[in-house]
Order: sequence, then structure tokens, then C-alpha cells
Amino acid sequence: MQSNEPATSMEVENVLSEPNPTSGTFPSKPKFEPLKAHEMSEGRMKIDIRMNLKARKVELKTRADTPDISNLQKCTDFVHAFMLGFGVVDAIALLRLDELYVESFEIKDVKTLRGEHLSRAIGRLSGKGGKTKFAIENATRTRIVIADTKIHILGSFSNIKIARDSLCSLILGSPAGKVYSKLRAVTARLAERF
Amino acid sequence: MDTVHRLKSTEPPLWLSPSSELSQTARAASQHLFASLKPFAPKSPFDRLLVDGFDAEQIWQQIDIQSQPIISSLRRQINRFEKNPEEISKIFGRKKVRRVEEKVREVEQKVPEEEIGGFSEEEDEDLEEFDEDSEEGEDEERESEEDEAEDNEDGGGGGIEDRFLKIKGLEEYLEAEEDREYGLKNKKGGSDALKDGEDENEDEEEEEEEEEEDDELGAFDLDDGENEGMDELDDIKYEDFFGPKRKVSKKSKLTDGLEDSDRSDEQEDDQATDNKNKVLSTHEKERENVRAKIEEMERANLESKTWTMQGEVTAAKRPKNSALEVDLDFEHNVRPPPVITEEVTASLEDLIQKRILEGRFDDVQKAPRLPSKAPKEVKEMDENKSKKGLAEIYEEEFVQKTNLDSAPLSFSDEQRKEASMLFKKLCLKLDALSHFHFTPKPVIDDMSIQTNVPALAMEEIAPLAVSDAAMLAPEEVFEGKGDIKEEAELTQAERKRRRANKKRKFKANTTKRAAKKAQDGTLQNNKEGKEEA
Repeated sequence: MQSNEPATSMEVENVLSEPNPTSGTFPSKPKFEPLKAHEMSEGRMKIDIRMNLKARKVELKTRADTPDISNLQKCTDFVHAFMLGFGVVDAIALLRLDELYVESFEIKDVKTLRGEHLSRAIGRLSGKGGKTKFAIENATRTRIVIADTKIHILGSFSNIKIARDSLCSLILGSPAGKVYSKLRAVTARLAERF
Repeated sequence: MDTVHRLKSTEPPLWLSPSSELSQTARAASQHLFASLKPFAPKSPFDRLLVDGFDAEQIWQQIDIQSQPIISSLRRQINRFEKNPEEISKIFGRKKVRRVEEKVREVEQKVPEEEIGGFSEEEDEDLEEFDEDSEEGEDEERESEEDEAEDNEDGGGGGIEDRFLKIKGLEEYLEAEEDREYGLKNKKGGSDALKDGEDENEDEEEEEEEEEEDDELGAFDLDDGENEGMDELDDIKYEDFFGPKRKVSKKSKLTDGLEDSDRSDEQEDDQATDNKNKVLSTHEKERENVRAKIEEMERANLESKTWTMQGEVTAAKRPKNSALEVDLDFEHNVRPPPVITEEVTASLEDLIQKRILEGRFDDVQKAPRLPSKAPKEVKEMDENKSKKGLAEIYEEEFVQKTNLDSAPLSFSDEQRKEASMLFKKLCLKLDALSHFHFTPKPVIDDMSIQTNVPALAMEEIAPLAVSDAAMLAPEEVFEGKGDIKEEAELTQAERKRRRANKKRKFKANTTKRAAKKAQDGTLQNNKEGKEEA
């Protein structure tokens, strides 16, 4: 998909096609606020970005003065994360830190649920007003996006693991209190290490 | 009268089937009897027995009402006659004799009365008085029986003298028993009856048993005994009671060996005392006693022991329910439960009340756990959306890891700081109060400008009363400028100049104020315009 070329001249356009959502609708258009992101990508990352509406693709391209070719990958990841649903502020972390990843899985990977059970599981995951989700996010320093039956987690590797375990236990049916207590224990242990 | 006879003559089976003729006869007889009794019952509400249209219960009630006072009056009369037997012979005289001949019962009574007379000689002197009266008493009773259908002669209560009645019962009992004996004797002709009589005589002496006899009397069917022994009653002799004479001597030997009380019991109503010729010496008596005891012991040893002496005994080896009668000794391993009496409950309640008043309830107090280590800082689970972006969080973490100096003050640190400050202040104050060697407040150097203090602090030898503040020189205190002149010292020109300045100032103030007011009155845009510009 991408070809690395020395940035002496604008030869090849590196086109990167993003996987469109299955529904076929466009993801949310970026608001004015993420001017910062553009700055980031253009300012520091030195990557060009554009949207090809006809082909329904987002295209990124290195520039001549791109310091590091891995920036392209970073930007791709950033756009990908944004498309999944993470906020710009959270997605920027991807640009800044190397060891952050995004992991996705589906509810049906954990347990086959149908109909009302599925709805209840989703409700259990997010909690009332999203408090369970936020609790997990705060405790494990990750960001979680629950999109219908798909779940995406952004964070460092170990934190993703912890968050994933908590989410899986919630899907399988354990009550939120239990998950909280486990989280507390785990994070305390993590904190003690430092 | 003939109605009564007719009633008497009817066969018993005829009574089983109701016949109007018989009932009529019965009613007539009752009426006759009632009328004959009327003169003796002054308080009776009925002049005559009302039988027409009344059923048996009502007729009986009428009879009952009339006869109750009669019975009591009869009793009183009997008692009176007891004391004065002559009156009887006066009143009744021939009549009584005739009645005696008529009634078979009375004949039979005479015989036992002799015995009773003999028997009562042995008893207390009080009874001897009664001997003569007993005959008459019995006759009276028989007469009264005639008037009433039945009379309860148990004598257990209602009598004027208890003893009197009991003796009456005794006599009746005696009669019955003797009748039985005669009946028995006719069949057996042995000494068994005699022995029964002896046993009964033994019992009679005991007052306790008298009432039992009274009860027994009720149980006895007097008629049966009377019928059986009726024919043989005339020929009662010593032999009938105590067998042939040779047996007496045998018995006398036996009785010598027994206790004195037994002997006296057996002698009660017989002439056996005369027949005992032998009088044993003390030594012989002792020897007899010992021999009897030895015989008894030997007999006991020969036969098998009772089950209680036999060591281990199962239920099969002992008679049924025999363990209940024996006082068994168990080993109790547990303390028996406390018997709850009133004192125990009272003591408990007192204790409870005292405790409540004191307020000492012996509550279990948790033992204070020693703090093994410092309490861990527990991070609260934050359920709100985090305000910092993920990048910032990681950034902070990174910084913390690399640069340990700039550890961001967490909330708890701030609180800790505040707490430590407060505590230090408190400690200072307490130390000032308590310590002998007071350590003053530690000086916290902060740069602050102090005005109006001389740059140099030279030691001035001044009296103690003068403070440092007063050590300032006048020109150091003075604030103002230039030459100050008094009001009086001012020249004309200076006065004018002063006034002119004042006016100028005032005018300037007023115009400024007016201008300000004008400004406020105008629109805001002007102001904004001004600002923009």
C-alpha cells in the first residue's frame, strides 16, 4: 500500500485506503477543533492528508521533509483510531507515544449472545451513564470505544490486557462491583511496582 | 296401710313393666306415708303429697323436702336417747319389743352387740358408756330406716360426735364381717374365718381404718350376709370364733413369741387372756427372741437373695416394674440443671437492675489491632470521563518515571501538608504551656519589606520606658514637605495664593465630574468606539 521514497521530490503519492465501515456511511467529519491534529500531522509529522470523496478514501502522503518514515504509519494509525471513534485528544497520543496500540474485538468472540442478552451485555459494559466504562478507562489508563457489538481499546499493551479482561468478565456476566474490586487490586499492584 | 303392704307383696319382675295400677298403688302408699309423717314435720310446705299429674321426680322432691328436717330431728332424738336411755323404755316400751321380734335384723344385731360389748371393754373408757346405748342406738337406726326409703349410715359426717358415728360404723362392719364369717364357716368350718376375724379386729382398733371400714360398709351387701348367716346366728359359741380349745393353746404359744401389740390385738374380743397360763421368765423370753431371730436369718440365708442383692441384674431377672420401687443410685456426670425458684429469679432480676443502673453491660469490645504498616493509599475509582487526554496521562507518567523530583502533588499530599501545618501550630502552643524550657517559634524567613524602621539599629542607651518606636527623630516621623507656616504666620500674599489654589482645584473637580456625568449619559457605542479606537 505504501511505498517509501526519499523525499527529494514529490514523486509518488502514497495512497492509503482506509477500510470503510460496513454500513457505507461516512465517519464523522472532523470538526474545527482538530486543527491541532492537522498541525500535528503536518506540523511535526510532516505528513500530508486529504480525503478522496469519490473513491471514499483518506489519503496520506509523506513530504519531502518527513523526518521519519514511521510517521506515516503513525498518522495512519491516528486516522484509523479516529475513524473507530476515539477522540482526537486521545488519538493524538498515538502520534506521540510509540508503544500505544489499538485492539478491537467483538462481543460474539467472547460469548454468543442473542437479542436481549446482547443488549443487556452492552448495557453492562458501559454502565449507567457510561460510568463503568469510564471507571475502567481511568483505572487502566486506556480509552475504550463501544460501537454496538464491536469494542476497541487504545492504550499500552499491559493496560489493554487488563482492560480487555475486565470487559470480558463483564460480557460473561459478572456484576460491575466485582469488576471494580479486581481492577483495584490489579492497578494497586501495578502502581506498587513503580 | 294396705297399699303399702300391697306394694311390698308385689313380685319384683312386675316392677319391670310399667303398669298404671302399680303406679296408682305406689302413689297412694306414698301419700299415706307422707300423711303419717306430717305431724313430725312442722315446717313442711305441703299438707299432703300431691300426686295427681306429677311425675316421679316431682313426687320424690316433695317427699325429700318433708323428710330432710325429719331426719335431722330424728338424729337429735337419738342422741338424746343415748344419754337418757330410760326415756326410750318410757316412750316405746312394749312397742319396741314388738318391733324387735318382727324384724329379723334386730335379732341378729343383739349377738354382735354382745361381742361389741366385750370388745369395747378393752378399748377406751369413753366407749364403755356407749355399750348400753349401742343397742338402743341400733334400734333407733332401724326404726328410722323404716320411715325413709334408704338411709345412709356411713356416719362419715354430719354426726354430732365423730366417735359415736364411727363406732356405729364399726358395729355395722362387725356385723357384716361376722355374717360373712358365719357363711364361710358353714362352708369351710376352718380356722380361716377366725383368722379373718382376728385380722379385722386388729384393724378396728386403728382409728384411721375406721373410715375405711365405713366405706367398706357401703360396699358390703348387708342383705347377703344376713341371709346366709341367719340360721346359724343363734348358736354362736366360742368355738365358732376361735376353733376348738386345743388350738387356743397352740395359738397362745405363737402369740408369746410375737410383739406385745400383736398379742393385745388378738386378745381383743376373746377370752384368750384367761387361757395363757405360762408366764415366761426374762431370760427365757430373751432366748425365745434370739431363737426366733436366728430361725428367721437361717431361713433368709437358705432361700435365694432378692434381686437387688444379686449383682448385675437384667430386666428379665427381676419382677416387672421393680426398679421403680427401689432407690437406684446413678452416677451423674453432668451437673443437674439449676432449680428455678423464686429466690433465684429474684436474685437474677436484682442483678439485672443493678447492672442497668450502673450501665455496666459487659459488652464485647474489639481489641485494637496494632497497625502493622502504614495504611495504603487507596486510589478511588473515578467514574467520570477523564478530563485529561490519554496523551497527557502518559506524558505525566513518563515524566514521573524519569524525573523523580517533580512529583506532582497529589490531592492527599496537599491534605497532608495542611494537616502537618495545623499540627505544628498546635504543638507550639502546647509546648508553650507545658515545657520548662520553652522553644520559641521557628523563624520562617520571608522577604518582606518593613517600613519605617531605621536602617541601622544602633544601641541607644535610653531608659526602659521609652520604646523603640519613640526613638525615631522628628524629621523621620514628619511627613509633609517644605516649610510649614502657622495660620497666623501667613502673609497676605500667601493667603491669597492659597485661596486661589483652592479655587482652581475645586473648579477642576467640578468640571471633571460634570464631564463624567455627560459621558455616562451617552450610548455605550461611544465608549466601545473609544475602546476600539
